[in-house]
Amino acid sequence: MTTVESSEAADRARRLQRVAELLAVAVTPEQVLDAILTEGVRAAEARAGSIGVVSEDGERIELLAQIGYRPEVMEDWQEFRVDAPTPMSDVIRTGEPIFISSVQERNRLYPSLAQVGQEDGHALVVVPLAVEGRVFGAISLSFDHDIEFEPERREMKIALARQAAQAITRSRLYAAEQAMRERMTFLAEASQLLASSLDYNRTLRRLAQLCVPRLADWCAIDMVDEDGGIERLAVAHEDPEKVKWAYELQERYPPDPDAQRGVPQVLRSGEPDFLPTIPEQLLEDAIGDDHELRRIVDELGLKSSIAVPLIARGRTLGALSLIAAERHPVFTAADLELAIELGRRAAVAVDNARLYREAERGANAARALAYVADGVVLLDRDGTVRHWNPAAAAITGVSEDDALGRPVAEVVPAWDSLTTHVQLLAPGSAPRPVTVPIVVGGHERWVAVSGVKFGGGTVYALQDVTEERALEKTRSDFVATASHELRTPLAAVYGAVRTLRRDDVQLSESDKAQFLEMIESEATRLAKIVDQILVAGQLDAGAVELELTECNPAEVAAGVIESAATHVPESISLSLDAREPPQIACDPNKLRQVLVNLVDNAVKYSPDGGAVVLRVRGDNGSCRIDVLDEGLGIPSGEQSRIFEKFYRLDPQQTHGVGGSGLGLYICRELVERMDGRLTVESEPGKGSRFSVVLPVRA
Amino acid sequence: MIDDERAIRLLCRVNLAASGMEVIEAADGRAGLELARKERPDLVLLDVMMPDVDGWTVARELAEGMETRDIPVVFLTARADTADKRLGEQLGGVGYLVKPFDPVSIGDYVEDVLSRIERGEREQLRREISSGRER
Repeated sequence: MTTVESSEAADRARRLQRVAELLAVAVTPEQVLDAILTEGVRAAEARAGSIGVVSEDGERIELLAQIGYRPEVMEDWQEFRVDAPTPMSDVIRTGEPIFISSVQERNRLYPSLAQVGQEDGHALVVVPLAVEGRVFGAISLSFDHDIEFEPERREMKIALARQAAQAITRSRLYAAEQAMRERMTFLAEASQLLASSLDYNRTLRRLAQLCVPRLADWCAIDMVDEDGGIERLAVAHEDPEKVKWAYELQERYPPDPDAQRGVPQVLRSGEPDFLPTIPEQLLEDAIGDDHELRRIVDELGLKSSIAVPLIARGRTLGALSLIAAERHPVFTAADLELAIELGRRAAVAVDNARLYREAERGANAARALAYVADGVVLLDRDGTVRHWNPAAAAITGVSEDDALGRPVAEVVPAWDSLTTHVQLLAPGSAPRPVTVPIVVGGHERWVAVSGVKFGGGTVYALQDVTEERALEKTRSDFVATASHELRTPLAAVYGAVRTLRRDDVQLSESDKAQFLEMIESEATRLAKIVDQILVAGQLDAGAVELELTECNPAEVAAGVIESAATHVPESISLSLDAREPPQIACDPNKLRQVLVNLVDNAVKYSPDGGAVVLRVRGDNGSCRIDVLDEGLGIPSGEQSRIFEKFYRLDPQQTHGVGGSGLGLYICRELVERMDGRLTVESEPGKGSRFSVVLPVRA
Repeated sequence: MIDDERAIRLLCRVNLAASGMEVIEAADGRAGLELARKERPDLVLLDVMMPDVDGWTVARELAEGMETRDIPVVFLTARADTADKRLGEQLGGVGYLVKPFDPVSIGDYVEDVLSRIERGEREQLRREISSGRER
């Protein structure tokens, strides 16, 4: 070996060493390829170089990187078949390096390449990239002069390729692991998102958002709606303007639900649809003659697409679509796998949320039926009880356990008569309840029943209207009684006038006077009854408004005595006995009304020479107003009845006009509305004491 | 004449007297029963709504008493319901006057009732109460 040769050898070793060092620190495939091409090509003293690898399917060779070649030369060589007649194909197929010393030799060995790089073509080396005996690619190096490669230089190129192969493999493993890690991270994030809320519409929208740009340039989610139609739930792209655009596009070009590709097909088949490269023809077919659409499609630059079904419990709920366009590289099998897994998880989340919602809805419906005051009874088409809520149990007196699963005619023997008059309605009609009596536990109850017939049977609503009915009866009784009460004074007035006008009979002066007096007093009584009927009616309807203010009961009592004194017969003494009574909270007008009535009653039932006293006293945190008389008194059996409407004591020996039968009823109602009490104590023959007890003002 | 309302008693007394009839009065059911048993009047005009012993009770007891069951009873009442009239018929009334009534014609009415009873039409009178023929 000459000195020159040995120094050249040392140089090569150094350069190789340098490449090895660079490759050792290169981590990503990009860094590795860069180191091989820049440093490796220089170390090999080559003019240009390229790296090709076998595609996943083993059919083609893809050029990963190159340096030094003219672009127009390389344009056609980005990808070619493994069986193409080229040095790189041969090297990859045989695993043996090829050393060609000149372009003439190359053209002889590969005539088809005669026209390629003819003008600057010289020596050419292609060495295999292999790891553990498996060839996965090759490096080609082109030189700017013809070289007869000596074994040492050959060895050096092979060593370079060995180092490069290891570095590429390592970096690819690293990249794959990195990608795997990213996918796992993404799936974890997606799962967390899917589990975060039961509002799956919102969650799915956020999921689509999560997919861009990490998984794709575009992400869309379509759901199957209740009618089997397709509803676009979400479209995501990094640029919100483009999302808006996508929706407009969707509106202008609605997808064909019977399309043989894409989402419609995925929803029908439940199988993913994967287009690693969207075929030009497919887009052409879709575009047709639409220039506007062509412009849009060109702008979108769609490259690659994945559509996966969202399947849970065997049902396809929707589809998730991913599209690689302007930025994202074309999709790989790993992307498809990730999309399928993502779709599966999203489907489970949607399914869970729906199940939960259904369960919750069911629970709410059950709660509503359990607590609603109306009885709800569901019968199937055979008349068997399928639902019997607690209110139905309370109204009919039959428990749910005793009713469920049995024919309703057995459960409630009176059912037929109960529902004979009920006209069954179609769903959605206004209810027309019929009120019928039933006997529960020996008591008659009135029930308003309405029924709706639907496909699965009949549902009845039962409402206990016993109290309403009683109230109704009270009301109609009141009207009937009131009309009776009016007839008597009316008969007196009418009768007196008719009698006075008789010309066939000579009436005595005293009779005439009596009739005139009768007309006056009975007309007054009539007016009073009409008044009190009105007040009683208002009290019953709760329409009487009281204004509770601070008031001095002694003043009210004094006013009552003063006005009563003007019409009390002289034979009866009337007096006020008030001793420092406390202030009370009451409606002074209503209190006056009550006291006037009680004093009038006392006077009415007082014998000649009797005394009526109005006594006002403070009494243990309340104020007590007594109206005392020395009249006949009230038999103990009647003391509670005198407060009933239209109840009247024997009106014998009364002074002045007859009563309406409503006075005491109204008094008690008014007093109770002022938070007070009205009571009576009486001893027949000795007199009565009516007591109004009102609370002292707080 | 049994009525707790003094005004109605006065009306009937004056107008019946004008027809030459003698009227005896009671202001409640109990007093009315006693008076009827004691005096055995030709006819009783009977109010219904009276405290304690009401007109229905009076009619029932008169019908049950050996001495009083032949005394014709004419109800004179503010109760105008059909159900009430039917009850009056069941209790053996021979007439049913609803207040307000015309006292001027009451003398003629009573005379008519008495003469028809004389002619043996008592049962017919009774049935006329609820048959809708109003006086």
